Amino acid sequence: MLSRHRINARDLELVRASGAELLPRLDEYVEQFYAWLRQEPEFGQYFNDETLLRHVQNMQVEYWKRFFIGVVDDSYVINRRHVGEVHARIGLSVAAYFAAMDISLAMLTDMLPMSDTRYETYRAITKLIHLDTAVVTVSYNHIINEKMAGQAQALTEMSTPVTSVAEDVLMLPVVGLIDSRRAQEILSSVLGRIAETRARVFIIDISGVSVVDTAVANHLIKLTRATRLMGCKALLSGLSPAIAQTIIELGIDVSAIDTHATLRDALEESLRLVGIKLVRSHNE
Amino acid sequence: MHPRTPTEYALRVCIDGELDIPIVASRFRAWAQRSGASTIDIARITTAAIELTTNVVKYAQRGELYGRLLETPRQRAIELIVEDRGPGIADVAQAIGERFSTGGTLGLGLPGVRRLMDEFEITSQLGRGTVVRALKRIE
Repeated sequence: MLSRHRINARDLELVRASGAELLPRLDEYVEQFYAWLRQEPEFGQYFNDETLLRHVQNMQVEYWKRFFIGVVDDSYVINRRHVGEVHARIGLSVAAYFAAMDISLAMLTDMLPMSDTRYETYRAITKLIHLDTAVVTVSYNHIINEKMAGQAQALTEMSTPVTSVAEDVLMLPVVGLIDSRRAQEILSSVLGRIAETRARVFIIDISGVSVVDTAVANHLIKLTRATRLMGCKALLSGLSPAIAQTIIELGIDVSAIDTHATLRDALEESLRLVGIKLVRSHNE
Repeated sequence: MHPRTPTEYALRVCIDGELDIPIVASRFRAWAQRSGASTIDIARITTAAIELTTNVVKYAQRGELYGRLLETPRQRAIELIVEDRGPGIADVAQAIGERFSTGGTLGLGLPGVRRLMDEFEITSQLGRGTVVRALKRIE
């Protein structure tokens, strides 16, 4: 990571040396920084509490103390990653974080004394700040991915509404895409409901599914086998002509699955299987 | 492995884990629909894209998917390229053969893609990665 940011031993040495100048003046920086922060609209919502503000300021001083030690090792990176996670969790945008780092860079380097190595030091500090920011950005990504995985999970849980449509008949309409996570979810919720209701027929309607690839077909075959083990017959409905054709071209053997073109066909078949006859009433 | 410039391909999707499979599927389908291909061809090439993406996630964890529309006065075709820098395939002939799987699944992915598409080419180097190029004529 150091080489990616072109940080060499000389740079770290310059960062350390500048620390001797800047660390005693960190209070000045903090004061300037918060003067800037207060006028930023996004920051207002975080600092309405004095104790919290002091805590954050202390953390910030610690951050820069660590920075000017000028040692980039695993524990340094872990620390920076943690900083990123904290900021991402409270919902601060990457753009705001970046702006804050940029203003910090300007404020700190403005405090550098005039000397022959001033520019070199400025570059060294810039590179290390950019490395920090890169690590923080990766953490942000990580948190966002976690959130997305959580949402996907929530969506999956919401989207397996196994419903009883007649005595002994369960139905599950599937909409969207089936990935292995969702297939697992479907399998356990279907088997659970079969055990609970002692249903004899289970209809899975995939008219809302746009693509059936080999993985999905595999899941459907497994689902059929598992329900059969529980004494329940599975009927698959809602295969569009395009899906039927791709399944054949993929070479998937679907002879184990009882398929029906439409949900209505499957429903009629299910009622026949459990011995229910629907009769039109004549009293209108 | 020849590097691809992003501008060459109208569609470029990064594959970085299982959560990307539905993303690839919906982006690819939306893009393919704009090409004016028939419903059945869209189903074929989207299915092929998902099969290849699933393979990347399963064996190489990450990779990239590219798509472009190739047009000549006489024909239009959709080209699909999926590449990864994963472990590679030891025996390509075996992998595209029927019902061969090292992943505990049906083993129909690669031969299936070959049947769904009009052209199919696979280049793989052990330890370097795999590139699959497939083409479907849409008119």
